[in-house]
Amino acid sequence: MGGAWFDYTVNGFVIGNIYALLAVGLALIYGVANLVNFAHGSVYVVGAYVGWAAITYLDTPLPVTLLCVVAVSALVGVGIERIGLRPLHGSSRIAPLLATIGIALVLDQVVQLVFTPDPRAVPMQVPEWRVAVGGGTIGALDLLIAGIGLTSAVVLYGFLRFTKLGWAVRATAQDSDAAQQMGVDVNRVNMAVFAIASALSGVSGVLVGMYYNQISTAMSFEATLKGIVALIIGGLGNVPGAIAGSLILGLTESYGIALFGTSYRNLFAFVLLIAMLVWRPNGLFAARRALPPEPMTGTFIARSRPVVVPRWAVAALVVAAALLPLLGQPYLLQIGANSLMYAMLALSLTLVAGTVGQVSLGHAALLAIGGYASGLLAMDAGWPVALSIPAAGLVTAALGTLLVFPAFRLTGHYVSIATLGIGEIVSLVILNWTGLTRGAIGLGGIPPLEVFGFDLGSVEGTYWLCLAVLVLLALLQLRLLRSHLGRTWRAIRDDPVAARSYGVSGDRYKALAFGFGGFAAGISGAITAHVYSYINHETFGASISILALTMVILGGLGNVAGAVLGATLLIALPEAFRFLAEYRILIYGIVLLLLIRFRPQGLMGTV
Amino acid sequence: MAPVLEVRGLRKRFGGVTAVEDAALDLREGELLSIIGPNGAGKTTLFNLVSGLDRPDTGSVRLFGQDVTGAAPERLAGLGLARTFQHGRVFGNLSVLDNVLVGAHARLRAVRPAVPVLGPLLELALAAIRPGGVRAEEAALREDAIRIISLFGERLTPRLDHPAFSLSYANRRRVEIGRALALHPRLLLLDEPTAGMNETETAEMQEVVAGLKRSGLTILLIEHKLEMVMRLSDRVIVMDNGRRIAEGLPQAVRHDPAVIEAYLGHREAGAAREPVP
Amino acid sequence: MTPLRRRSLLAGLVAGAAATRRAAAAETIHVGVSGPLTGPNAQYGAQWKDAFDLALAEVNPAAQRQIQYVFEDSQSDPRQSVAIAQKFVNDQRIVMELGDFSSPASMAASPIYQRAKLVQFGFTNSHPDFTKGGDYMWSNSISQAEEQPQLADFAIAGLGKRRLGVIHLNTDWGVTSKNLFAAAAKEKGAEVAAAEGFLPGERDFRSTLVRIRDSNPDCIVLLAYYADAATIVRQIRTLGLPQAIVAVSSVYSPKLLELGGDAVNGVHVITTFFPDEPRAEVQRFVAAFRAKYNREPDTFNATAYDTMILASTLVNQFGATRAAVREGLAKVRGVPSVVFGSMQFDPNTRRVEGARYKRLVVKDGRFTLWS
Ligand SMILES: Nc1ncnc2c1ncn2[C@@H]1O[C@H](COP(=O)(O)OP(=O)(O)O)[C@@H](O)[C@H]1O
Ligand SMILES: [Mg+2]
Repeated sequence: MGGAWFDYTVNGFVIGNIYALLAVGLALIYGVANLVNFAHGSVYVVGAYVGWAAITYLDTPLPVTLLCVVAVSALVGVGIERIGLRPLHGSSRIAPLLATIGIALVLDQVVQLVFTPDPRAVPMQVPEWRVAVGGGTIGALDLLIAGIGLTSAVVLYGFLRFTKLGWAVRATAQDSDAAQQMGVDVNRVNMAVFAIASALSGVSGVLVGMYYNQISTAMSFEATLKGIVALIIGGLGNVPGAIAGSLILGLTESYGIALFGTSYRNLFAFVLLIAMLVWRPNGLFAARRALPPEPMTGTFIARSRPVVVPRWAVAALVVAAALLPLLGQPYLLQIGANSLMYAMLALSLTLVAGTVGQVSLGHAALLAIGGYASGLLAMDAGWPVALSIPAAGLVTAALGTLLVFPAFRLTGHYVSIATLGIGEIVSLVILNWTGLTRGAIGLGGIPPLEVFGFDLGSVEGTYWLCLAVLVLLALLQLRLLRSHLGRTWRAIRDDPVAARSYGVSGDRYKALAFGFGGFAAGISGAITAHVYSYINHETFGASISILALTMVILGGLGNVAGAVLGATLLIALPEAFRFLAEYRILIYGIVLLLLIRFRPQGLMGTV
Repeated sequence: MAPVLEVRGLRKRFGGVTAVEDAALDLREGELLSIIGPNGAGKTTLFNLVSGLDRPDTGSVRLFGQDVTGAAPERLAGLGLARTFQHGRVFGNLSVLDNVLVGAHARLRAVRPAVPVLGPLLELALAAIRPGGVRAEEAALREDAIRIISLFGERLTPRLDHPAFSLSYANRRRVEIGRALALHPRLLLLDEPTAGMNETETAEMQEVVAGLKRSGLTILLIEHKLEMVMRLSDRVIVMDNGRRIAEGLPQAVRHDPAVIEAYLGHREAGAAREPVP
Repeated sequence: MTPLRRRSLLAGLVAGAAATRRAAAAETIHVGVSGPLTGPNAQYGAQWKDAFDLALAEVNPAAQRQIQYVFEDSQSDPRQSVAIAQKFVNDQRIVMELGDFSSPASMAASPIYQRAKLVQFGFTNSHPDFTKGGDYMWSNSISQAEEQPQLADFAIAGLGKRRLGVIHLNTDWGVTSKNLFAAAAKEKGAEVAAAEGFLPGERDFRSTLVRIRDSNPDCIVLLAYYADAATIVRQIRTLGLPQAIVAVSSVYSPKLLELGGDAVNGVHVITTFFPDEPRAEVQRFVAAFRAKYNREPDTFNATAYDTMILASTLVNQFGATRAAVREGLAKVRGVPSVVFGSMQFDPNTRRVEGARYKRLVVKDGRFTLWS
């Protein structure tokens, strides 16, 4: 077995080596722009396809291929900076992060439209010699990737230390306002950094494509995710740390497989992420220091005065919504029911992300917990659906709060990354806990909606039930927001330090928010499970978390009416764009970007 | 009777910088003690150590006779300690009234029953149901907050519903002091309450602090405007480079050669607006 | 849109127009298709379209009732497939629904189709519970209960292997397949030495293969799709593992050769569809597909093609109503099929049995019959 451990170690380094190219770019961008670039994996895909096209159509040799990739990817990077960062200076801190998510959506779609989603083989342009190491082999490409990773780290280090632009980059990273006052052209610096980082990402895309002889448009999210995990391990913004973090991530995955099997690989990666965030939020290599200071008051969310909707108008809308089934349009009604289920999720997230300022990127996990809880209670324990749904709400409230508890002491982007990781962990636990959840087979035959003998499985029944539940939850949430809890939650968001000094325990009130929010999301997941009759670990995936966050931003952070509006629009719009066929997700991404750019406080205003 | 605040041998280092070294002070009920010293002397750090935002490396802090060294700020607030911040930390998106009401958080009783474990759940339920007791408490707090806000005359009263981010700098400082008073503190820590204020505003603030002192409140004050310090303080502590270099009555301290030296040595410290004779 | 696909669309349009002119008396019947045109599974929706267009170009001109399909993009996402289901069940023109691609998306919509008594024909839904959703859920997807014993037989009786190392996709399909395979292998006297489940989209299998290696198998069994299989086989080769490789029919695709390169030489695979098979249905389909799209068809194309032929048969033989389609599925016999030779349904399981398996091996970069 000793030989096997040596092989696992080598394999860990080999895969970590590949993550490193991604993580270095992410680290650079974070270091300078204070931004976790969620479009990074998309640039990687762009690079891979540009390289493929160059080789396939122009028959380019390796250096020329790489040159093409560098040029195009750098250009894309400059574009990201121009769209996703520069115009958003001074708006809420979360806006650039969301903009990168929107850009990722657009880039992925464009690549898919141009190249089709069919996987492609990338011709190998690196000599195929291999040397035996332990029980396996290492090839020229492994060394090339390691070489590029190390060289770029060294070159970057030199650039940052010894050049004027590098000095400007470091100054900007320290304090962009001060750097600006000292005459640094911060925009130019940011642009340079995005270009460099994106070029690296593109190169890694094409090299990894050669490595596996395969590229596909679907590989961007996974790439972003792994890059971010490696980044956190190494310490946000720390370039050499990013390389070390990548290797550690690779080793962790490899040992995870060795100890428990292949299906535990990502579980290990994400548990490592959470452990790092909790115990060493600045990465393994940072000196023990507190979290970097958060900006002063009021910069977390866009300052705005929310739109006030008169009570009679709200009442009229609710009545109109209740009468909708009378139109006899089941398709419309199904979209309505979907919107309402998502509105419950958005209510939950607008409370957590908007009112309390904990921007969760893993909120869909709460749906999964709710769905599984209600499904299992109804199927295995024989509970009536009318009981299993509220019970699922309570289970989700408790379990959800418990799971994010370790993330309570984090702030800002760290919370987002931690919740993203927790969301993945929930999904992976569902996948691997076969005894309880039936693993990959999923839960089938979940009984339809039914309350005290009334069959609500029809689309009208589902719609009315969802409407009633949503109205109740929204009223309850509004009532809580008008109590002392509302101001307490918002105080924690605006300035957690000042809030603590006035006796407001962050943990207690975050827990209350996650508890109540978890309840709403759990109910939503439970209803969804009974409507779908079948769910599995992927039904409530990361894309739903991101969708929910978009809804909340669109409506206005913390705004209850806004959450409902945002959910309705974002469920209805893709349906309305149906005639656009392949182009609709692209249009949707563009709409999202425009919104972040021109109305960052959301349609209804932040509260 | 035990002193309100008793600090012994407090030390705090940040990396190589010694921010506070061997700090000691006693504060009796109703007393106003000022801490002065050039920028970077360690005054704010001392406040952070006393109010629980930072943990001291060594030393002890006793508040109302209890040892509270390293205690969480939440707990200290519960004991009756309130503070303001040098750079102003209002809740930007909260209204003036809500800002002040958050100050009263530690006084909530009806809606925050002291039940172990289930307390938070009860709080959620009570906030939703709002029985008579809770409503009465909230109404009383509101009335009290409005009274506190009226201490600043017409500066804030017409702006009860305005979000704090829309206020002038001076008004934000007032909101912060209002928030501190809403705690009904037994000890108030003020960190440069007049920073950035013009003369009229400073005079107004001085009146407010004088009023608080008259009402018997125990106050620890950091202030650069020496005239105000001389007028208000019972005693003064002078700090430099983290150390206490002088302590005594205002007039005595003013003429202490070590103090003059400290201020002259830090001529660039812009905060010492008044020339020290 | 690639030039290829644009051309195919154009060809479809032209063919459709011609057909309308010829049979003026013909009636147009609509079937709904719910499947991915965007999102991570978009390639499968594109493959469906190609096969549908080919099938319709063949059967429509001669048919009394001509089928037209309404394709709604679901991204294979349950949220969208349920909305599409409402759209279809309330569109009275639609007499039958095809899809969705993934089992979760299909099964979420099943209650709606069942309630509305519209046949949901999930032709890629191998999830064992799919047709249990109700008596309107039907499928001609290959049953793993049938396929896995065939695969086990290939490895055990055919290649004489006794210790099998299984690498399977960790999805409903992969786990079901793995369980059925393990049971079949045991029955045939072999042992599953290791079973490793990987997540879709995974690219690195080096450590997985070390685990497999250390379980000392004499054969590696792949329960995966062709893209993943290509990656796994390449890594098996770079690790220098000498074992024979046997793979399930979803690995059979021209793309395997493209993505796998030289590494996939020697890989054994079973398949229900093999273009070189002399059977008439196969040869006609392959020739037509090559002529129209200028590339090799794969199993997904074949299944989608079969499905559209079936739909046309149903409405022309049994009538163009939802009830008639439902009745027809239970009664229809001997529908020509590329995959099955001839198709009929077991009214109890609502699935097709009797797929014809071929054993292939990759030789010099080509699939050839194994003997
Ligand atoms: N969080 C911190 N990290 C590092 N150094 C700090 C920190 N807080 C204060 N200091 C340093 O401690 C010293 C005292 O600062 P401070 O207490 O703010 O002084 P004052 O309030 O008297 O102007 C200064 O040198 C300052 O740079
Ligand atoms: Mg200070």
